[in-house]
Amino acid sequence: MNNDISAPQVETDVLTAMRRPGPAWLTGLGLAGLLFAGGLALWAYQIMHGMGVAGITHPVGWGVYITDFVFWVGIAHSGTLISAVLFIFRARFRTSFNRAAEAMTIFALMVAGLFPLIHLGRVWRFYYLFPYPNQRQLWVNFRSPLIWDVFAVSTYFLVSLVFFYVGLMPDLAIAARHRSGRAGKLYRILSLGWTGNLRQWRHYGRLYMFLAAFATPLVASVHSIVSWDFAVSIIPGWHTTIFAPYFVAGAIFSGTAMVLTLVIPMRRVLNLQEHIPIDHIEAIAKILLLTSLIVGFSYVIEHGMAFYGENLFEMEQFRFRALGHYSLLFWIMIMCNAVLPLLLFIRRLRRSLAFLFVLSLLVNVGMWLERFVIVVCSLARDFDPYNWGNYLPSPVECGITLGSFGLFFAAFLVFVKTLPVLSITELKER
Amino acid sequence: MPRQLYFDTPDAFLEELRAQLNAGIPRRRLRARLPFHLHEAEELLIGRPSRLRYFALGGGLAGFGGGFLLAMLTSVDWPIVTGGKPIVSVPPFLLIGYLLTILIGSLSCFAGFLWLSRLPDPGPLVSDDPFDPRFVLTINDEEAS
Amino acid sequence: MDRRKFLQLMGLVSGTTLLSSCGSERNQKELISYLVPPEDGVRPGTAAWRVSTCSECPAHCGITVRLREGRAVKLEGNPDHPVSQGALCMRGQAALWRLYHPQRLRTPLLRTGNGYRPIGWDEAMKRIAEAMTASAEKSRTNMLLTGSTSGSLAALQERFADTCRIDRLPEFEFFNHAALRQAYQLLYGRPRLPRFGIEDADLLVTVGADLLETFISPVGYAHQLSVARREKGLQWSHIEPHLSLTGANADRRLTIRPGSEATLLLWLLQTLAKRRRYARRLPQQILDALPKISLARAMDNSGLPGSSLTELARSLEKARHPLLITGGVATAQLAGGQVALLGCLLQWVLTVPWQGLDFDRAENFGRAGDLRDLQQLNLSLQNDEVGVLIISRTDPVRHSPQKWRLDENLRRARLSIAMTDLHTATSRTTDLILPLTQNFERWDDVEPRIGIHSLIQPAMAPLHNTRSEGDILLELQQRLTGRSEAATYEKYLQQRWKKLFSASQLRAFINKGFVTKGSPRTTISLRTKPTVAALRRIAPSEPLPAPATVITGSIRSFDGRSAVLPLLGEIPDPLTTVTHGNWVTLSPRLASQYGVKDGEELRLTKTDFAVAQPARLQPGLPDGIFGLPIDSLTSGPPGIDPATGEALRVIGGIKAHPTGKHFALPILSGSPSQKGRGIIPKPIHRKGKHHAEHRSLYPEPAYRQYRWAMAIDLKRCIGCAACVASCYVENSVPVVGREEHLKGREMSWLRIEPFYDDQGRASFIPMLCQHCDYAPCEPVCPVYAAYHNPEGLNVQVYNRCVGTRYCSNNCPYKVRRFNWWQHKWAPPLEKMHNPDLAPRSKGMMEKCTFCIQRIRTAHETAGKEDRLIRDGEVIPACAQSCPTDAITFGNLLDPQSAVARLIKTPRTYRVFEGLGTEPAVYYLRPD
Repeated sequence: MNNDISAPQVETDVLTAMRRPGPAWLTGLGLAGLLFAGGLALWAYQIMHGMGVAGITHPVGWGVYITDFVFWVGIAHSGTLISAVLFIFRARFRTSFNRAAEAMTIFALMVAGLFPLIHLGRVWRFYYLFPYPNQRQLWVNFRSPLIWDVFAVSTYFLVSLVFFYVGLMPDLAIAARHRSGRAGKLYRILSLGWTGNLRQWRHYGRLYMFLAAFATPLVASVHSIVSWDFAVSIIPGWHTTIFAPYFVAGAIFSGTAMVLTLVIPMRRVLNLQEHIPIDHIEAIAKILLLTSLIVGFSYVIEHGMAFYGENLFEMEQFRFRALGHYSLLFWIMIMCNAVLPLLLFIRRLRRSLAFLFVLSLLVNVGMWLERFVIVVCSLARDFDPYNWGNYLPSPVECGITLGSFGLFFAAFLVFVKTLPVLSITELKER
Repeated sequence: MPRQLYFDTPDAFLEELRAQLNAGIPRRRLRARLPFHLHEAEELLIGRPSRLRYFALGGGLAGFGGGFLLAMLTSVDWPIVTGGKPIVSVPPFLLIGYLLTILIGSLSCFAGFLWLSRLPDPGPLVSDDPFDPRFVLTINDEEAS
Repeated sequence: MDRRKFLQLMGLVSGTTLLSSCGSERNQKELISYLVPPEDGVRPGTAAWRVSTCSECPAHCGITVRLREGRAVKLEGNPDHPVSQGALCMRGQAALWRLYHPQRLRTPLLRTGNGYRPIGWDEAMKRIAEAMTASAEKSRTNMLLTGSTSGSLAALQERFADTCRIDRLPEFEFFNHAALRQAYQLLYGRPRLPRFGIEDADLLVTVGADLLETFISPVGYAHQLSVARREKGLQWSHIEPHLSLTGANADRRLTIRPGSEATLLLWLLQTLAKRRRYARRLPQQILDALPKISLARAMDNSGLPGSSLTELARSLEKARHPLLITGGVATAQLAGGQVALLGCLLQWVLTVPWQGLDFDRAENFGRAGDLRDLQQLNLSLQNDEVGVLIISRTDPVRHSPQKWRLDENLRRARLSIAMTDLHTATSRTTDLILPLTQNFERWDDVEPRIGIHSLIQPAMAPLHNTRSEGDILLELQQRLTGRSEAATYEKYLQQRWKKLFSASQLRAFINKGFVTKGSPRTTISLRTKPTVAALRRIAPSEPLPAPATVITGSIRSFDGRSAVLPLLGEIPDPLTTVTHGNWVTLSPRLASQYGVKDGEELRLTKTDFAVAQPARLQPGLPDGIFGLPIDSLTSGPPGIDPATGEALRVIGGIKAHPTGKHFALPILSGSPSQKGRGIIPKPIHRKGKHHAEHRSLYPEPAYRQYRWAMAIDLKRCIGCAACVASCYVENSVPVVGREEHLKGREMSWLRIEPFYDDQGRASFIPMLCQHCDYAPCEPVCPVYAAYHNPEGLNVQVYNRCVGTRYCSNNCPYKVRRFNWWQHKWAPPLEKMHNPDLAPRSKGMMEKCTFCIQRIRTAHETAGKEDRLIRDGEVIPACAQSCPTDAITFGNLLDPQSAVARLIKTPRTYRVFEGLGTEPAVYYLRPD
C-alpha cells in the first residue's frame, strides 16, 4: 500500500518533518526543559542536605526513585523489541516505528541510568560502583544484583546506542544531501562518509543482523536482571521466580504503550500519516494486548501462588497489596494494566487513534504504579511486624520524577527536529 | 573511462547487472552504489559472506571469558565472604560474562564493520560525493581496476 | 620581618617550649612516658574507669564512668554495688546527656522582668545572704527545700540549717511513698521503707507497686527478681487496675477494679488468718478489729473471679517465703492509707516471719515528706511568712496540684532561689537560679540505704561556671555566720570521711565506690494498740466508678524529671512504643466506643481536673481505664489524699470526650501483634514446623578461633530498654527527634519489640543485628561495605558505603539504620562521642557491631599476653547494663563459654530460622 509512494517522496516527507520548529514545539521543549531544570535543582538540594529530604524511610528504603528506574528501563525495552526482535522476525511494520522507538530506548536509558545515582546516599562516591582497583586493591562485589545492574544497563545503553547509530548512518547521508551549509556538513561527517557502495552495504547488512542478534537477548535479559534486584532478595513479594518473565512482559507492555504515546501525536504533528499506516499501529496495539494478557496473568499467578503457598509472610504481603494502605494504587494498576487493555479485542478500538492514545497514557500510569506497588508494598510489610511502616513520597521525589519526564520529552523533541524520525532507507526498501 | 549507469528501481538495476555479467564483464570491473541493500547484488558481485562474523565470534568469546575472569580473579585476589557464598560464585559471574559477551561482541562487530567497509571515509567528505538516491552501476575500464 | 625580630620570636618560642617541658612536678624525673603511667590517668587512646554513683533518681545505683581523654563518655553499672548489682537503667545511662546537655545552666541567673540576667557567683551569694539577714529581721522564715538528700550533704544541710537559722523542710519527692512509711510507723514505729528480700522469696505478690519502673529501687529489684526466678523458682503475681510494665512482666497479672485494693487485701488477710500457720501471727484484738468481708463481696468489689482469689490465697499459704509488697498507684489514691496499712499488715503475717523485710537496711526516705508539707509551705507563702526560700534539686511547682497556684505564691517569698542543673517548672518561677555541678564534676557521697555509703567522684573538671550544693551552702554559712564547717565542700567531705571510715574502709570507698557498714539486725514487733485503732477506722469502700484514670510513673522519665534528656525521648515507651510526646492509653474496645484512633485527642475531665492528650490504643489494658503517663499530666496531680499526703493517681468517674483534633504520634511499632510469626514462639508456633532442616548449597562458614555470638534469655528480659540506652551512648547513635521518628527514621541499633497476644499479654524481645552466617544483607552490597569478617561478625565498612540501602531492604530483621542527614550534635554533646568508633556521615548505613570496639580492645590485651580472649572478657554495652542478665555474649567456638552452653538448652531458637540466615543471636524462649 505504501509502494505507490516514490522514493524521493519518502525522503522529502521525512526530512520536511525535521524542519520548521513551530511555536508548539518550542513551548513543549521549553516546558520539558523547565521540568528538567527543576528536577536537577531538587537533586542538588538533596545532595546538599541528605537523603532525608526524600520520603523514603525505614523500612521502605526504596521508593519513587527505584520505581522510576524500573519504569524507565522498562520503557526502553520496546525500542529494542521493535528494532531488533521484529527485525529478526522480519515483521515489516517495524519500519514505521523503529527509529522513534530506538530513540526512545536511548533517552529512556539515559533517564533510567540517572536514578540509581539519584537514590545513592553518597552519590559523590558513585564511582565505587565501577569495577576498578582502588588504592586498596578492592574491586566490586560481583555477587550483588546492583553490580549486575551496572553491567546490564551500561551494556544495554551502549549496544542500543550503536544499534541506533548504525541504523542512522545511511539516513544521515541522505539528510546531508538535503541540507546545505554547516548542517549538511555535520550530517555528512556523522554519516562517516557513507556513499552506499556495495562493500559498505554488504558489511552493513551483516552488522545490522549481528547487532539485532546481540540485542535480542538483551530484551529478555536486561529487565530480567532488573527484576533480580528484587527476586534475589528474600523479601516476601520480591522473592519469586516469575519475576523475570513478568518484568520482561511488563517492560514490553509499558514500552509499547510509550511508543504509542509518542508516535500517535508525532504522526499527526509531522504529517507522517502515509508512512505510519493505521495497520501498523494496529499491529503495535496487538503487542500491547498480548503483553497485557501476560502481565494480567502474572498478577493472578503472584496472588494465586501466595495464597496457595500458605506462607504467612507472602499471604500477608499480597493481602496488604490488595486491601492495605496502598490498595487504591493497586486497583488502579489492575484496571489500567489488566482490564482496560482487554478492550483491544475489539477491532474498531484497536484502530481508533484517540482510544489508543488514551489507553497508552493509562498503561503508562498503570505500569508506573505496578513498580511502585512492587517496590513499596513489599518493603512496607516484610517479616517483622514491629517494623511495618508506610511510605509517602516527598515533594522532592515527585519533582525529580517530573524532571525525569522533562528530560525524556526534551530529548525526544530535540530528536524529532534533528534526526530523521523514520528510517528513510528502510521505507524505501519497503 | 568508467561508465556510470543510473537506475530508479532495483529491478532495472539487477537486470542490467545480470546483463553485464552475462556479457562477460568480470566482477572486479563492476562497482555498485545502492540506496539500500540488495542481497541479489551482493550475491552477483561478491558471492562470499562478509568476514564480520569473525569479529562477532571473537568479540563475544573475549567478552565472555573476560567478564567471567574479571569477576573470578578479582574475587580470588582478595577473598571476601559475603552472605556465606563461595568466593567463586559461578552463577553471578556467568552473568557478568554473558553481559560482556553482548557488549564486547557488539562493539567489536561495529569496529569490524568500520574496518571492513573502510569507514570513516574522508574521501566523499572532501570531494563532496553524496549518497546517491539512485542505483548506480559503474563499469570500470580494464586497466583501471 | 627583620632578622632581629625573627631571632626574638625564635627565642621566645624555644624558651617557652623548654620551660613548659621542665615541669615542676616531683615525680617527673625522666621523660620516658608510660613506663610509669601518668598520675592524672589521662593517657590518650586509653580509657580510664572511675567508680561513682548515679543520682538520676533516689535509688542511687552504683556506676563506673568511662573516661577518654579527660571526659566522661560512657556510664556502666558498678558490678559489685549492693544497690544495683552492676546494672544501670536507661535513665542512668542518659545521665551523661544531663552532664553535656546543651541547655545546662552555665552561670547564676537573676530574674529581671520576663528575662534573666547572668550574674557572678559573688553577687548571687551576696544577694542571698542579704535577703536572709533582712527577712530574719522582718520575722519572715527562711526555708530550705531539697529533693531526696543523704550522706554528707544531708549532714551539711543539717549544720547549715542550725547555724544559719533556716528552716529545713522535709525533703520533697513526688514518689514519696508516704502511705507506706506511715503504715510502717503505725505498725512497728519505724517510718521507713525496708529493703525487700525479693531474692530469697519464692512467691511475690505485688499490689500496685511498680517494681520495675519507679518503685523505690527498680534496677535493684529487677536484678533481685531475676535471681529469685532463677534460683528460687519465684512465682510472681501482680495486682493492679491498669497495665504497667511491671504487670506485663509478672507471671500472673490480676486486673482489679480501681479502688478495690483494700477490699482485696482485707479478704486475703481474713482468709489467711484462718489458717493455722498464720493465725498466731495476729493478736485476737487485731483479728476482731478487722472488718468482715465475704468472698462474694471481695469478688464483686475487685471484679476478680472467685477462683482467682482463692488460688491467690492458696498460693500465699503454700509458699515458704511469700513476699507481699503494696505501693505505687495502690497507695496513691483516696483509700491509699488503708491499702498501705493492710498490705503492711499482710507483710507482718507473710513476710516478716522469714525476715523478708530489712529495716536496718532501710531505703533513704527518712527525711522525705509528702504533699501535705508542700501544702503547708504554700500556705506560709500565701501568708507572706517566707523570707528566703531555697529549692534544690526538686520541682514542687510541677508536682503540686495546679489549684494551689504554687508558682504564683512562690513570688511572695522575699527571695526564691532554685538550685538545679537544667531548667524546671520551679526554676522558671524563682527569682534566682544557681546552676549546680553535675555528678561527674564533683566529690560527694550518698547513703542510698542505711549503712551503705556510696561515693560520687569527679570524672572531669566542671564544664561550666557551676558550683556544688555543698560549696554553696558552705559559702552562705561563711557569709552569714562568719565561719563555715570547711573551706570547701571537698575539705568538708575529707573531714567527714576521716571520722566516718577507717583507713581500709576509706581505701575501699575510693576504689570500689562504696562501703557497707554492718549493723546488727534488729527485730521488729507489732504495735497492737495503734494498729487496732487504725483498723477500726477502716471501712471497705466501694471501687471507684468507671471509667477511671490511672496516672502512672514512667520508666523513661521517673516522675517527669528525666523528660528533659533528649535521649530518653528517643527511646520508646516499652508498652506503647511511643517516643517524643504525650498520650493517654485506652483499650482498643474503649477506643472504638469513643470512636478514637491512635493520635486522636481525648479530653479527660473531672470536677477540677482536665487533661487533653492524643489517644494510644493499648492492648491488655482493662476496658474502664485511661492510662495517663505522668509526663502527659501537664497540670500537676489532680489532688492529694489528705490522710497520707500522697498525690492522687487513681481517679474514678472520669468524663472523656474526643476533641476531634489529631496529633501525629510517633509510634515505633508497626503492629502490636506478631501475627503468628513465631518471633517469640508460643506453644502454638512450636507445634507445626513448616521448614525442613537447613540444607545449603553454600560452603559451611569456616571460623578459626572465634565466632562471636549472643544468647538472649527472653524469660529474663523485662523490656526495660536499659540495653537500648546503653547502646545509644556507647555507639554514639544519633538522636534524631520527633519529626524523624514520625517518618520512621529512628536510629536505634537495638530495640525492644513488645508483642501482645489475644489476651493482651505482652512479651518483649530485644532485636539487634543478628550477625547471620548467611547474612542476606552482605551479598547485595555492590561495594563490599557489608561483609562477613573471619570472626563471624557482620561488618559494615562505613567509608565504603555508597548508600544504596539494599542491605537494609534485604534484612529480614530490619536492624540496619541509614543516616538520612548529617546528624548534628549541639555542643557540648559531641564531647560524649565514643572516640573508639569511626564517625558516620550522611548517606551511610550503620548498625549493631556487637560492640566491635570492645572486641578489638580485648584482642589487644589478649595479644599482648599471647592468649585467646577469655570468656566474659568482652561484654557489649547492652549486656553490661541489663539488670536481669538476660544477655550473654561470647565465643561460640569455645565449648566452655557461657554462650555456647546456653544455646544448648532446649529453649533455644533463632528468629525466622526458616529463612536459613543462621543468625548468631540465639534467643531462649520465655516458656
